[in-house]
Amino acid sequence: MIYREAGQFKSSYAGDQAIFPVVQDRVFVAAAVAAAVVVPPLLASEYWLQAVLIPFLVYALAALGLNLLTGYAGQLSLGTGGFMAVGAYSAFKLATAFPRLNIIVVFLLAGVAAAAVGILFGLPSLRIKGFYLAVATLAAQFFLIWLFNKVAWFTNYASSGTITAPDRTLFGALITGPNSTPSARYLTALGLVAVFALAAKNLVRGRIGRSWMAIRDRDIAAEIIGVRPLRTKLLAFAISSYYCGVAGAGLVFLYLGSAETLAFDIGISFLVLFMVIIGGLGSILGSFLGAAFIVLVPIVLSNAPHAIGLRMPVALQKQFELMVFGGLIILFLIVEPRGLARLWQIAKEKLRLWPFPH
Amino acid sequence: MKGSAAAPPLLEVDRVSVRFGALIAVNRVSLSVARGEIVAIIGPNGAGKTTLLNAVSGFYRPYEGTIAFEGQDRTRLAPPDVAALGIARTFQNVALFKGMSVLDNIMTGRLLKMRGSFLLEALYWGPARRQELEHRAFVERIIDFLEIQAIRKTPAGRLPYGLQKRVELARALAAEPKLLLLDEPMAGMNVEEKEDMCRFILDVNQEFDTTIALIEHDMGVVMDVSDRVVVLDYGRKIADGPPAAVRKDAAVLDAYLGVAHDA
Amino acid sequence: MLDALHAVLVAPFRDMAGSPAFLVEVLIGGLFAGLMYSLVALGFVLIFKASGVFNFAQGVMVLFAALTLVGLLERGAPVLLALGLTTAVMVALAFAIERLVLRPLVNQEHIILFMATIGLNFFLEGFGEMLWGANVKKLDIGIPDRSFIVRGVQINELELTAAVTAAVLVAVLALFFQRTRIGRALRAVADDHEAALSLGIPLKTIWVVVWSVAGVVAIVAGLMWGAKSGVQFSLSLIALKALPVLILGGFESVAGAIVGGLIIGIGEKLGEVYWGPLVGGAIENWFAYVLALAFLLVRPQGLFGERIIERV
Ligand SMILES: Nc1ncnc2c1ncn2[C@@H]1O[C@H](COP(=O)(O)OP(=O)(O)O)[C@@H](O)[C@H]1O
Ligand SMILES: [Mg+2]
Repeated sequence: MIYREAGQFKSSYAGDQAIFPVVQDRVFVAAAVAAAVVVPPLLASEYWLQAVLIPFLVYALAALGLNLLTGYAGQLSLGTGGFMAVGAYSAFKLATAFPRLNIIVVFLLAGVAAAAVGILFGLPSLRIKGFYLAVATLAAQFFLIWLFNKVAWFTNYASSGTITAPDRTLFGALITGPNSTPSARYLTALGLVAVFALAAKNLVRGRIGRSWMAIRDRDIAAEIIGVRPLRTKLLAFAISSYYCGVAGAGLVFLYLGSAETLAFDIGISFLVLFMVIIGGLGSILGSFLGAAFIVLVPIVLSNAPHAIGLRMPVALQKQFELMVFGGLIILFLIVEPRGLARLWQIAKEKLRLWPFPH
Repeated sequence: MKGSAAAPPLLEVDRVSVRFGALIAVNRVSLSVARGEIVAIIGPNGAGKTTLLNAVSGFYRPYEGTIAFEGQDRTRLAPPDVAALGIARTFQNVALFKGMSVLDNIMTGRLLKMRGSFLLEALYWGPARRQELEHRAFVERIIDFLEIQAIRKTPAGRLPYGLQKRVELARALAAEPKLLLLDEPMAGMNVEEKEDMCRFILDVNQEFDTTIALIEHDMGVVMDVSDRVVVLDYGRKIADGPPAAVRKDAAVLDAYLGVAHDA
Repeated sequence: MLDALHAVLVAPFRDMAGSPAFLVEVLIGGLFAGLMYSLVALGFVLIFKASGVFNFAQGVMVLFAALTLVGLLERGAPVLLALGLTTAVMVALAFAIERLVLRPLVNQEHIILFMATIGLNFFLEGFGEMLWGANVKKLDIGIPDRSFIVRGVQINELELTAAVTAAVLVAVLALFFQRTRIGRALRAVADDHEAALSLGIPLKTIWVVVWSVAGVVAIVAGLMWGAKSGVQFSLSLIALKALPVLILGGFESVAGAIVGGLIIGIGEKLGEVYWGPLVGGAIENWFAYVLALAFLLVRPQGLFGERIIERV
């Protein structure tokens, strides 16, 4: 009887329209957020912050962005890496050109740049759908990466071709750059992700989210209701790219510290797509679960042989990881094509009845 | 008939043709629907009924002819513009948003009544929140009216067929349309469901003062609900008049031989 | 401004006219690359037509086939035996994929199956390298990589052989689809599952057959590309290049895959050689996609697709 909604009568539509209508959900989320703020900076080792928690948050943000586009608006995209790169390089240019600009403002503006590029590459979505569109987004992926590689201006003519996050502070604490602490970067990422996740949740449960899902589920019926396909899809591209852009900035400024275009290649586009699908298409929670899964699996896989006393050559280890990773994806799709979020929901329904299963 | 002779008809289809390659699916059909009327469009399968509705909805471009709504030429509008005029419809093969709950489906029907900016909505703050609640209240009235309270939160794709048709009607009603186009609203329903649907259609017409054009095969239903019947066959209009008269029309009997009997 | 226009619109063509022999060589190079794209795209099309699965792993299948072939040759197997064994491996792979991946996912949405083939992609990549090692290997099938000159144009023997082999393969496939019962069933199943079943061939068999055929196509592609540039991971990347080809040719047209591949191959090489230097080169990476995208905007149905008005 831990998880009960019986007896919680919603006396108004306001109550029913609330983001977490069930009290236990509200408590759970509040506790999770509080724990996320307090526990890791106190307890987690540098390794955990740097190798697990920060990438998890950054990827979760990107996954949120892609989920808005693919999971909610139904537009398959393989250009995520490209849009993230736009965010990262814009943030770098902004931060170095205007050293006094607040770093959070830099992130938000970098998102705007990514959104503009997203709109541009979203234009074909009016005429093409499904896999055809996915291939079109590959044009964005390859073209953008090529552009950042070719035009030295984007890297401030660095001979190495890398961009490096400069030292920047927020409320007096150093939060980016080589001298910032993992805790500070973690908390910044957490703050960004929390706000963006809340905004995403609000969007998808309102007018805009409904028009996205309408286009996704039945575009013809959506149109006769008054949904304008181009405008709706472009808005999805814009907002999704915005999220991805901020995530790209986060990838460099909060996680890697410095990066080349390689960090944004097609591989990352697929990685984020996996997160979204394994986590659950059309689910905000799923974006987080998927990101956690994809970040944790390689870590577990690379430590597992060691843990059971097996020593593998590095090459074999890499191949083994690829196989298990590929196999897991297939297995997952077979077991629950609607993703981890769906499994979570099923578990919740079970809990609701527990300990009286009937 | 309820429409007055002086005012222009709500919908005026004038010698409209629709072609698919060599096939002329709708052939110089004229049809007018007066305010407040319930018009039934009947005809054998493939007669061009759905195609005619699609032309009115803006999905297909007429090859010739004009379509006017409230006296204005509206021949070349895109579907969202047609919706903005106050025309809503349902589809022959239910076109619900399967991944969304019944409530969300119907809320989507209110889309054109809603305003807002994505920033406010991202915050779910002030006007955005108020608007959402207002429309929720309206949608709840439709839910009560169509007696679908129990399935509010169910994903539309999981409902049985008859209920899906009802939800689709609810979604169309949510737009508060002036003209409601229903494509075979009772196809595949059992007798009881059909009776319910008939009642809803008549109630909608009376209580909300909505003009309705519907396609239907069941002659009994057609006779019961419609003020006027239009008959299509091979893309042409072959009869147009009160149900009782059309029923006796020789051309109609010809076209319908067999169909009318099992209906 | 005028200079820029001149550089884009006039100079490249003047260069082409100035040295026709070089132009022909560029075209032949493009044709060869295009042929490889065509072969991979063909594998895609076969599977897509028969099962609606967008097989992302087609490129890795090429790599896997080439790795297996090289591995067998290195262990001293004669060429024909190695080819036979590789074919057997690809057929076995088709069986395994049908049983372990497709069957449990039957009736799932396309995107789910697509994702599963991406999983397959990872798996095969790891598996192939685990079996045969990850080093770059030269695939030697006894055709010399040397050139002869006809009227001032260099022609590479290996490329010529590749072109002929590919042409023969396509002809054989066309015959297979036209003349055999299972071939006709395969064509039918693309349009209508029921129809194919009424021919008395179970869906299961059909899937195994198309994946096997796609596996054989992958062997040919792997053979040719591997002999030319060595067997290495980058082989699997030509799968991505096959995507714009599919856009051009349409996902369901065998002829489209062939023609689309050639157009992309040639277009890409011409673009790189004559226009690439204007923007700093290396445009091969994206040129094909942008070309395909531009094309899509004009003709969303592809080269050979028919324009259909969606039914409502
Ligand atoms: N999108 C389309 N493309 C080609 N032919 C169509 C299309 N839509 C309808 N048709 C054809 O137009 C004719 C009329 O169809 P329809 O309007 O659906 O008939 P009804 O609704 O009266 O049964 C049929 O012959 C049908 O095959
Ligand atoms: Mg019809």
